[in-house]
Amino acid sequence: MFSFLLRRVVAALGTLLLSSVMVFLAVQALPGDVATQVLGRDATPDAVAALRKQMGLDQPAWERYADWIKGALHGDFGTSLVTTKPVGGEVAQYLGNSALIAVVTVLFAVTGSVVLGVVAGLYRDRWPDQLISTVSLVGMSVPEFVVATVLVLAFSVTVPVFPAVVLYGPGAGVGQLLPAVWLPAASLAIVMAAYIVRMARTSVIDVMASEYVTTARLKGLTTWRVVTRHALPSALLPTLHVIALNVAWLVGGVAVVENVFNYPGIGKLMLTSVQNRDLPVIQAIALISAVVYVVCNLAADLGSMALNPKLRTRGGRIR
Amino acid sequence: MTTSPKAPIVSVDALSVAYRSGGREVPVVREVSLEVSPGRTLALVGESGSGKSTVAATLLGHLRHGSRITGGRVAVDGKDVFALAARELRRLRGGTVAMVAQNAGHALTPSMRIGRQIAEAGGEVPVTDLLEQVRLERPRELARRYPHELSGGQQQRVAIAMAIAARPKVLVLDEPTTGLDVITQRGVLDLVGALREELGLAAVLVSHDLGVVARMADEVCVLSAGRVVEAAPTRRLFAAPADPYTRRLLASVPRIADAGLAVVGEDGMREIRPRADSAGAVDVVDVREMTIDYGASRAVDGVSFSVRRGEVLALVGESGSGKSTIAWSLAGLREPSGGTMGAASGGGAGGSSGDSSGDSSGDGSGGPSDARSGGASGGASGGSRGGLSEGASGGSRGGASGGASGGSPGGPRGGASDSPRGGSPEGASGGSRGSSPGGSRGGASVGSSGGSSGGPRGGSSEGASGGPRGSSSGGDGDLSAPARRRPLALRRTVQLVFQNADTSLNPRRSVGDAVRRPLRFFGTAGSRGEAASRARQLITDVRLEPDFADRLPAQLSGGQRQRIGIARALAGEPDLLIADEITTALDVSVQADVLCLLDDLRRERELACLFISHDLAVVRGIADRVVVLWHGVVVEEGPTDAVFAAPGHPYTKALLAAALEPDPEAEGAAAPAEEWADAAEPGALWDDLGGGHRVRRWRPTDG
Repeated sequence: MFSFLLRRVVAALGTLLLSSVMVFLAVQALPGDVATQVLGRDATPDAVAALRKQMGLDQPAWERYADWIKGALHGDFGTSLVTTKPVGGEVAQYLGNSALIAVVTVLFAVTGSVVLGVVAGLYRDRWPDQLISTVSLVGMSVPEFVVATVLVLAFSVTVPVFPAVVLYGPGAGVGQLLPAVWLPAASLAIVMAAYIVRMARTSVIDVMASEYVTTARLKGLTTWRVVTRHALPSALLPTLHVIALNVAWLVGGVAVVENVFNYPGIGKLMLTSVQNRDLPVIQAIALISAVVYVVCNLAADLGSMALNPKLRTRGGRIR
Repeated sequence: MTTSPKAPIVSVDALSVAYRSGGREVPVVREVSLEVSPGRTLALVGESGSGKSTVAATLLGHLRHGSRITGGRVAVDGKDVFALAARELRRLRGGTVAMVAQNAGHALTPSMRIGRQIAEAGGEVPVTDLLEQVRLERPRELARRYPHELSGGQQQRVAIAMAIAARPKVLVLDEPTTGLDVITQRGVLDLVGALREELGLAAVLVSHDLGVVARMADEVCVLSAGRVVEAAPTRRLFAAPADPYTRRLLASVPRIADAGLAVVGEDGMREIRPRADSAGAVDVVDVREMTIDYGASRAVDGVSFSVRRGEVLALVGESGSGKSTIAWSLAGLREPSGGTMGAASGGGAGGSSGDSSGDSSGDGSGGPSDARSGGASGGASGGSRGGLSEGASGGSRGGASGGASGGSPGGPRGGASDSPRGGSPEGASGGSRGSSPGGSRGGASVGSSGGSSGGPRGGSSEGASGGPRGSSSGGDGDLSAPARRRPLALRRTVQLVFQNADTSLNPRRSVGDAVRRPLRFFGTAGSRGEAASRARQLITDVRLEPDFADRLPAQLSGGQRQRIGIARALAGEPDLLIADEITTALDVSVQADVLCLLDDLRRERELACLFISHDLAVVRGIADRVVVLWHGVVVEEGPTDAVFAAPGHPYTKALLAAALEPDPEAEGAAAPAEEWADAAEPGALWDDLGGGHRVRRWRPTDG
């Protein structure tokens, strides 16, 4: 058990390290010189050289990487080229706003979709299953910005319950942002839930057909007990990783949806930074996305360990 | 057990069940009626698809997804099971009827500790008492374990404990011992028998194993295609089966007293086929002091045996005895940690025959082996054993020219006949021999000795130096290399047939494709068209219609799939076919057919076969020699008839005593197994009983 844990953690750290290298290299490989970019095309060579020296661009790449990673570990991602404020603080602010959407989305999407998936699986081939499966198929096939637009049409234009766009800047408080969270969260949740529902449904059907669930039924247990004690732990195992992947997908999905709603989140920041060639910000966001991915997958691994005693106990090695 | 008939506690009346498939209703059970009284055991017997499990499950009000009752009723303890409300039905399942499912390994929830699973089944009996009642040791500790931490026998006992937890009146046992090996099976059956009397249970036993039925049941109900073909008291049924189907079924069961393979006619008459004579044949594979480790534990410890051409050698033992591990290792799927395994063909064969005749001179031992194998290549070549046996094998696989060229020019000196073959084209086409280790290596050693001193001594020098033992140093004849590092020709010499034909065939490829693949891969068929026609030929060889080539595995029955598994293995034109429990998953009549096929094939192709089985009756029929394994060591080996007639080792005796015969009159109470300890010492491992029958030394330890 301990070795399993250790291996996963080491693998996670290794993945992070590798992705940091790749993020760094990718940004380095972008065409154009940062100093020239900042000073404009007409800058004198002297000024460019001075700025390069000031930014440390004259040092070899690996040294700059080491500096960057050292800073990043302390939360210091350098200064933004556009606003000249520390990147860390700025990113954190936007990230916080996005986290608001993400938490709401994950909360509703994961619980809702697992419940719906289980219901669909239990009522296999009957109307609840057919309804849930059809709706989730639609959710799967429609892209999130379309869902977002439809939601805006429905709940901001036709029935004005929620704001269509956010008029606050990144510094807005939770209270100000909260009314604007629901529509983006809903559009993300619909797309995300579709996958989880499908997966949960399939694995519930598989597990419900298994001999041990039949045995449990034939022991005279109630359906509730059969499902919660016998079926769910095993049925959730494959679902866990789909959930992890979907939560990680949020990082990207958020970018599109936030732009639809003009929500001051990390996706919005990313798009602006790309437009402004604000390299330190892009670097920081890329690294944070990597962290989210790795953490989600690690969490899924730990979750599957909790659900699967074969991973926890000795002698569970499969020959 | 009371003999006075009581009111039946279970009564099934004209029950019909149908399964909906593609808009059609397929009947699976047709008007089945039966009754069971308290304290009695009824066995439902039939082959797969006979509906016996479906009938058994209806006693608990359970139907598979998509099935429904189309007629009749099931009453347990006076209640109509399918008319009960959900709550009542749960009470029935929890209290009146309990089921022990077929595969306890799958029937226990993997994520729950077994103590909780048993406690959940209800009843006032403490879990530890229940575990004690099913004769499990250290119940307290066991209750905290997860199912995967138990052995198969322990899992089955836990499943039984779970079933009797609520003190039911009726116990439904669905193939309770199918997956278990004989000794464990005997233990579980004895336990069920004892509990039945202790608790006064009525039992419904579903089984395809007539040995189990004969031992356990009071009455038997034979089902075929959903219909009851015969229902009778057990003794009457086994003594005088009335229905032809029952007769055939009974006749298909291999008996431990059979002196050979039983061939069953349409009318249910058994005919015992005499064994093939492979006594003087050359060795195809020779294993010496093989050890295989799984991490720190040793699965196989110093096992030696050899398989001769045209011979079926059986590896027998319980699960965990290492028999499958050995097979996998020979097939190159698991690397041994010590010892040697040689594909001893050609020269190697010569060496081994020298070996078996006690390192006698080349001439002496060469003679007999020539007489047997020389047909194709000309016995005239005299003492050149190496060359000759090679020629013979070349001939048998159609490379008659290879045999001739190997035999005739090489006449007097094995070496001379061997060396050209090593590099000659027909050596390659002839298969394993030419490029295979055994052949070329043996050839080389013969060549050198033959070259210097001439024919007569060729054999003996080989026996001493170039024999199978030498093969370990030879390089490419070495089977201890994993399959991917074996040269193609050597890889081909050993082919494996898997236990589960359905999971070992790609479900999306036609079976013709499955057979064609190795043909192309090993280069045995040159062109695409040739491969296709050879594949059809092979499918015909395993007694299937050539048109089967276009079908998918799912469209075949279990027995047909297993035949395809054999055809696929034959496509490599192996010297050694490893059959790993190939009939275990099959119905008895299908098993009889597959065994018959295997016996035909080894006769036709002089195929050596390593037959792995836990079923002693099957082994008795098919195998020429037996090797009994116990915890990774050989405890007894010898000709099948000798070992079965007079087992020398207490473990063999225990295995034989645990085997169940399809005869209710058979002596039920086996003598308590002798306590024994291993007494083998280096240099004095064996007691030789003569005729190749030897027993590992042991001593009794009863105090």
